Amino acid sequence: MLTKTGRFIVLNIGVGILLACSSRGDSSPKSANSFKVALLTPGPISDQSWNGSAYAGLMRIKDSIAGATVSHIQTKTPAEFEENFRQYGAAGYSLVIGHGFEFQDAAARVGPEFPKTTYITTGGNTVGANVAAMSFSFDEPSYLAGIVAGSMTKSGMIGCIGGTEIPPVKAAFDAFTAGATSVNPKVTVLVSYIGNWEDASAGKEQALAQLGRGADVIFQDADAAGLGAFQAVREAKHAYAIGSNADQNAVAPEVTLGSVVIDLPHAFMVIAREVHGGQFKPRIVKLDMRLDVVRWTVNPALATKIPAAATHAVDSVRAQMLSGKFVLPAATGSK
Amino acid sequence: MSGGPLTAFLEAGVRTATPLAYAALGELVVERAGVINIGLEGAIIGGAFGALVFADTGSVPLGFAGAALAGILVAALFALFVVTLRTDQIITGTAMSMLGLGLTGTLYRTMYGSAGASLHTPTIAPAPVPGLSAIPVIGPALFDQPVVTYALYVLVPALAWWFYRSAAGLALRAVGEHPEAARGAGISPDRVQWAAILFGGAMGGIGGGTLVLAQVGTFAEGMSAGRGFIAIAIVVLGRWTPFGVAGAALLFGAASALQTLAQTTGWTMPYQLPLAFPYVLTLVLLASARARTAAPAALGQRSA
Repeated sequence: MLTKTGRFIVLNIGVGILLACSSRGDSSPKSANSFKVALLTPGPISDQSWNGSAYAGLMRIKDSIAGATVSHIQTKTPAEFEENFRQYGAAGYSLVIGHGFEFQDAAARVGPEFPKTTYITTGGNTVGANVAAMSFSFDEPSYLAGIVAGSMTKSGMIGCIGGTEIPPVKAAFDAFTAGATSVNPKVTVLVSYIGNWEDASAGKEQALAQLGRGADVIFQDADAAGLGAFQAVREAKHAYAIGSNADQNAVAPEVTLGSVVIDLPHAFMVIAREVHGGQFKPRIVKLDMRLDVVRWTVNPALATKIPAAATHAVDSVRAQMLSGKFVLPAATGSK
Repeated sequence: MSGGPLTAFLEAGVRTATPLAYAALGELVVERAGVINIGLEGAIIGGAFGALVFADTGSVPLGFAGAALAGILVAALFALFVVTLRTDQIITGTAMSMLGLGLTGTLYRTMYGSAGASLHTPTIAPAPVPGLSAIPVIGPALFDQPVVTYALYVLVPALAWWFYRSAAGLALRAVGEHPEAARGAGISPDRVQWAAILFGGAMGGIGGGTLVLAQVGTFAEGMSAGRGFIAIAIVVLGRWTPFGVAGAALLFGAASALQTLAQTTGWTMPYQLPLAFPYVLTLVLLASARARTAAPAALGQRSA
């Protein structure tokens, strides 16, 4: 028989080996003039949304900038954010991207410890000597999606489903509501939050509840959990879904009107080129429709179902947004 | 979708309770054998992934078989450490949860790429029972569900009968209460615990499979979302009896459905409040003397 300590060691080795198989790091060996970029995502990169699109951005950097080496890690808690920010700083990374506004406190704390590393959060408003934030005008295309949803609804009721109630998501839903109301003043907008970003079953339940109440267009911004909302809409057959973050038109092409897209690969390249070239100035980097980082992308398969008047309204508001003349109603902000 | 908000609420409650009930009934058998498997979460997410892989063949029953198999695999690893190597149950269970979540994520990306599997997994639709599903209010909730839910209506009484009326059930309970005495009676506690843990793994796996095959139609990393830990609370709330556990699973399902419904009706109450209710009830029950007498006496201890 094994001793007590022996058993404990066996257990730890066994689990250690297995956990090592599941580690997500992907770093390459150092080279003299390498440009090292790291990405921290709050969720799995297989979500076909916020996290998956960021990973695609990281891969774009790796493929487009000569000598770039990249690393990705999935993190959950603020303690992990700081820990990983520190490790990448200590390993001499040039650019570390915390993917979400929730990373900004950790960036502000760790930044001063590693002045040679640039820390950037996607969302947030924290700026320091080597700390910056990307600000996506996600509310602009959300407003356009709202115009389409408000025009398409037959029941006069549409829904929004978010992962958790965080400011960027709330701002998108506010803009979506404003867009819908602009073409359909009597429209009712239901807003539900799942409570997390992974529970696809709970995402489906939230969508079923909204569909049961009569909603017939659902805008979801819930990453992997949002897949459940797509499934509920597919099964309902009389309703439509709207995707978010990535172009999700292919997730459920038969019911998806379009997606409110953040082109994260494009956004990441804008930042990475500046940092790589040494001319990056820490600031809040505003990324909007004019830079074509955020956009409303209609699903070509359902484009003919959208009434011409709605398409016309979208085009006209989009033109105003691109010329800087459009002002979103108050209470909406940037992602 | 017909029959008003009460019916919709009950339907959602039963739907949400189904995967929880499978996992919790499995954990019940494990705990009655004196083992607490904190790693149930690993079996659930393993089952969800197994369901995805096997259902890719186009067969939902094969998907459920894959779910049970994956749950058994995770549980076998747990049993190897806990029963055969006598490691600490809590530490091992925690490791199994982390292992299940990490390994399924890695396998998923390896097999399906970072773009994921999309919504192409075949699912089972609800199969309304003629007559019974027409009963007002509760009919659709209980009898317009997928077949996996109906299986529970047979499984719960069968499990209760097996616990209290069969020799094997008596042996299981004896091991959970007093492994020394069980050994004296010619029962092998190790063998009983191994069997109980594998059964618990299969049930947890089916619970995870239900998420994929009866609900979402795809896999998402981390989609078990803490159901393994909720199931453990359900066993406590159900006071270690099959009917108690089934009732407690329904209560957790109802609380979740209430929260969902409340949000669509513009209720201003924080949505976390109904969700917290069953946990509060579990805590109150745990603090009471009755719970302590209901728990298997040798729970969490190593069998000699």
